[in-house]
Amino acid sequence: MSLTFLLIDDDEVERLKFARVLQKNGYTHKLIEAKNGEEALQHLENKEQLPDLILLDLNMPKMNGLEFLKILKSDAALKYIPAVILSTSNNHSDLKGCYEIGITGYIVKPLKYQDYEYKIKCLVEYWSINDLVQL
Amino acid sequence: MGNDEIHILKRALQREKSARKQAEKILEQKSGELYDITQKLKKANKKLKDQVGKKESELQGVFDNLVDAYVLMDISGNVLEMNDTAKQLFGYDIAQEKLNVVGLIYKDDYRYAMESFQELITKGSFSDYQARVYTKKIGVRTVHINASLIRDKNKKPIGAQGIVTDITEKIEQKQIFEEQKKQLSIIVENSSLGIVLAQFGKILQTNKAFQDLLGYTKEELQQKEVKDISVKDEYVSVADDLEKVYTGQIDNLSINKRYKKRDGTSFWAKTNISAVRDHNGNIKYQVALIEDITEHLESEKQRDLLVKKLERSNNDLNDYAHIVSHDLKSPLRSMNALITWLKEDYEDTLDDDAHKSLDMLLKKVDKMDHLINGILKYSSIDKQEHPNKNIALNDILTDIIDVIHIPNHISISIPQNLPIIKGDKFRLQQLFQNLISNAIKYNNKEKGTVKVSCKDQEDFWEFAISDNGQGIPKKYHDKIFQIFQTLDDKKESTGVGLSIVKKIIDLYNGYIWIESQEGIGTTFYFTLKK
Repeated sequence: MSLTFLLIDDDEVERLKFARVLQKNGYTHKLIEAKNGEEALQHLENKEQLPDLILLDLNMPKMNGLEFLKILKSDAALKYIPAVILSTSNNHSDLKGCYEIGITGYIVKPLKYQDYEYKIKCLVEYWSINDLVQL
Repeated sequence: MGNDEIHILKRALQREKSARKQAEKILEQKSGELYDITQKLKKANKKLKDQVGKKESELQGVFDNLVDAYVLMDISGNVLEMNDTAKQLFGYDIAQEKLNVVGLIYKDDYRYAMESFQELITKGSFSDYQARVYTKKIGVRTVHINASLIRDKNKKPIGAQGIVTDITEKIEQKQIFEEQKKQLSIIVENSSLGIVLAQFGKILQTNKAFQDLLGYTKEELQQKEVKDISVKDEYVSVADDLEKVYTGQIDNLSINKRYKKRDGTSFWAKTNISAVRDHNGNIKYQVALIEDITEHLESEKQRDLLVKKLERSNNDLNDYAHIVSHDLKSPLRSMNALITWLKEDYEDTLDDDAHKSLDMLLKKVDKMDHLINGILKYSSIDKQEHPNKNIALNDILTDIIDVIHIPNHISISIPQNLPIIKGDKFRLQQLFQNLISNAIKYNNKEKGTVKVSCKDQEDFWEFAISDNGQGIPKKYHDKIFQIFQTLDDKKESTGVGLSIVKKIIDLYNGYIWIESQEGIGTTFYFTLKK
């Protein structure tokens, strides 16, 4: 099953990292990239082509991850899209805030690229075997 | 002699006879009257005597029953009479022994006594004489005497009488009362609180503190009413409550109000007004205690400001930790990825030196990440205030042994009976983990040992973690607890671990110290309160 990921991260290298993991491991999933919350919302306007999973960074300029998450979860159509946090922060209050609003996962970005690759592979494999809500 | 002559003589004799007879008759009559009068006089005299006797005994009764002492003396001061009270007071009985009043005069009052005596002689009396006297049984007493002179029918002084009142106790009580009054006024006058006695808004009395506070004199204030020295709006706003104090609905009122000073400025004061009632329970006065709280308010303001500042800088610090966690960590992740890609993508084109350099670069990135994590850990130690729970240290240490990497050449010994301690699990784990992993990390012996032990010191537990490692030179014993101070620039030393240890021990009001011999080993001691 081919999935569509929406990756929201202001850091270009982070977006490159995710794309590289997909490419190097031969995944055929589709990747949409957004630099921040606003850009992501534009992508989500077309309700016909909604992503299967949202990967969200927390610290971003303009609209940050939490703000985006609130909008997402209060939208009748968008709230079913599972959102997974990809952040460098393992701060207790960040974690709590995210789970409160509603996330399906929280992945702390490890320092080493190899560790990162391993985690993303797990994530992709896991969501590949999930049943998702189709509206 | 002729008949005529005889006749004349006879007639004369006749007249003489009848005259004598008449005289005798008158005499007889007069004697009778005299007798009657004598009888009457006798009777009257008896009656008088009876009456005098009666009066005398009456007087004696009065004399004996006088509450005050009565003394009758002759002009030389010899006591002739004293009543029972006088006998009791002076302790003498003149029926048993002679007594002269001069001997009773207290030596220091002698002159005054003589002057008073002189006054008695010249003016016939003195009153309100007050002096001390010796008594036989009850020592020196202070007495009050009113005296008058007694004269004979020729107006010659023959004696004097005096009413003597023992006023010793009255004087003592008065002294005590005066003393208490003085003490009270010392308190009032030296009080740092302003004190005002008022009667329904009219100022009656003020103490020095209040006068100083307002810059008015006592007399000026006595001309004023409370509203004259109050800020009008405030006086109006508490008028209802004041009325309740005046009418006795409430006995006490505490307000913060401003007072107007003589120079026109005003100050804030805490004012406590109490109603004072007379013995019938009617409200008579109001007493107000006034405390200048200008400084207090000022320091409160400063404190609030400081708290706000602290809150802000605390938030800043939290933000800072946040920034550190993301903004500094993110670039490191990017760097690690990019270097890794370089190595992967150009594995064949890069020579060994380039690979070596890239590996060193990765190590530096790694070290940087360790540092950032250390700072984060250090700053988050006291951030989250977890309630103290009973923590079994044996469980904590078992967890630590599972988590940390223990090389094969290191053996760790942990006693089975470590105590249960009140604290936060995360902090206690940090504390032991840092010390144990240090002991392992810096062990340079072929067979390394790390030993944990614990001693019960009544109020606290004393722990020791000793190793047979390289030891720490004496000059570094203090320095190692400072943040970012490390004695080892190899490996992944960040200089944060021991500063975290110190911070945790400080949080638990404990102590930490080191005993170490270079090349032989180190023991870290620390205490935790029970």
